Amino acid sequence: MKIVGVAACTAGIAHTYIAREKLMKGAQARGHEIHVETQGTIGIENKLTQEQIQSADLVILAVDIKIGGEERFKNKKIVRVPTATVIKAPVQFMEKVEKELSVSK
Amino acid sequence: MAKSKNFTVIKNHILTGISYMLPLIVGAGVCMALGQVIGRLIGAETLEIEGSLPWVLVQIGAWGLGLIVPVIAAAIAYSIADKPGIAPGVIIGFIANQIEAGFIGGILGGFLVGYLVRAIMKYIKVPKSLQGLMPVMIIPLLSITISGLIMYFVIGGPIAYLQNSLIGFLESMQGGSQFLFGGILGSMATFDFGGPVNKTMSMFADGLLVEGVYGPEAVKFVGSIIPPFGITISYFLTKNKYTKSEKESLKAAFPMGIAMITEGVIPIAARDLIKVVGSCVLGSFVAGGLIMTWGVEAPVPHGGLFVVPLFTNPWLFMAALGIGSVITGVTLSLWKKQVTEEDEAFDEMESNSVDDDAIVFTVEG
Repeated sequence: MKIVGVAACTAGIAHTYIAREKLMKGAQARGHEIHVETQGTIGIENKLTQEQIQSADLVILAVDIKIGGEERFKNKKIVRVPTATVIKAPVQFMEKVEKELSVSK
Repeated sequence: MAKSKNFTVIKNHILTGISYMLPLIVGAGVCMALGQVIGRLIGAETLEIEGSLPWVLVQIGAWGLGLIVPVIAAAIAYSIADKPGIAPGVIIGFIANQIEAGFIGGILGGFLVGYLVRAIMKYIKVPKSLQGLMPVMIIPLLSITISGLIMYFVIGGPIAYLQNSLIGFLESMQGGSQFLFGGILGSMATFDFGGPVNKTMSMFADGLLVEGVYGPEAVKFVGSIIPPFGITISYFLTKNKYTKSEKESLKAAFPMGIAMITEGVIPIAARDLIKVVGSCVLGSFVAGGLIMTWGVEAPVPHGGLFVVPLFTNPWLFMAALGIGSVITGVTLSLWKKQVTEEDEAFDEMESNSVDDDAIVFTVEG
């Protein structure tokens, strides 16, 4: 799958970035292509491009707070998850997402 | 399931509020504390002189801190109702400040405004020619008037009463009960290494900070820093009780601890949950109790060891931190068992150590 994601935690200084890293590791371990944007206290980094969003099959929002620009993902399949889950078990999380999606298809 | 989902949504709104409030509280809080430190250095009387540098710094901080409640109210309303929530959110927060409903009033006010704005957008229909008036006139006017009246006449009074009695209760506490209270707060701050229990305690402390009660905030510092420090001490006492990858984790966890980020110890706690949590809570209980009894106060909510010089009684804070960390370290070293080969293998399955049911997410679209 092609995946785009956003990571954002409450304080926006540490977990946001750990979540991004883990999310990318987890997705890559399961053979997906992934781009992840962070919305920390410093603002948006690694901003997703229009093309990345357009070609993505799935959006993963690993967020604990309201994020900016959610309207970009309109009409996309969105998985919403707390940052803690992604940080704890990235690969297992991806596996469960895959399972869930193939069931709901 | 539906219930827990609502809970998550509400939690999200509060966390959004806090995330917008944090930089303000840190910036203004440190500025204020800086003024006090400079004032003490060049002579305490300068703090009383209007226009002197320390006086102005303290003023800037105080004015900034006065905006905490409006900002958290506005951010919560924004989280619920998007941009139209901001203006009425700021105002309801200001009202909450004025009628002494403070932090709690601000949070509830934010929710009130947020959902009110959402309802107005949903139920009030205007002819197309007046559509332009909706965001600039109708929504702000209606939401501000209605929520302002509710805040003033209905919920403001009881909240102010609750808040004042809580603060009165905290200030009247002495000796043993103070130690117990600090101990419980310290344990909560440590218990789940930055998880929901820690965040609950943290919000409680932040709320009191806004009201000018600084003790619990110092307990939060000590409770957040003890786990990484204590475990590090334990590692140096008994290196044979830690696996290779735990050693690696500790290299990151310790500096994170200096910055007051507890979560670095989670990988170490995962293998030996009860022992690690148990000894950390024990250390934090004692340290939290000491902080409350010794009257250590933290006028800032975050910043790790770097902001300790701004505390009241920074040396006593360091003493409490040291005592708590040593208790944690020694207890853990005595309690933990030597590493076996099986333990080393545990690290390999890092990503599969979680119960499948613990992984919860929602799928939309």
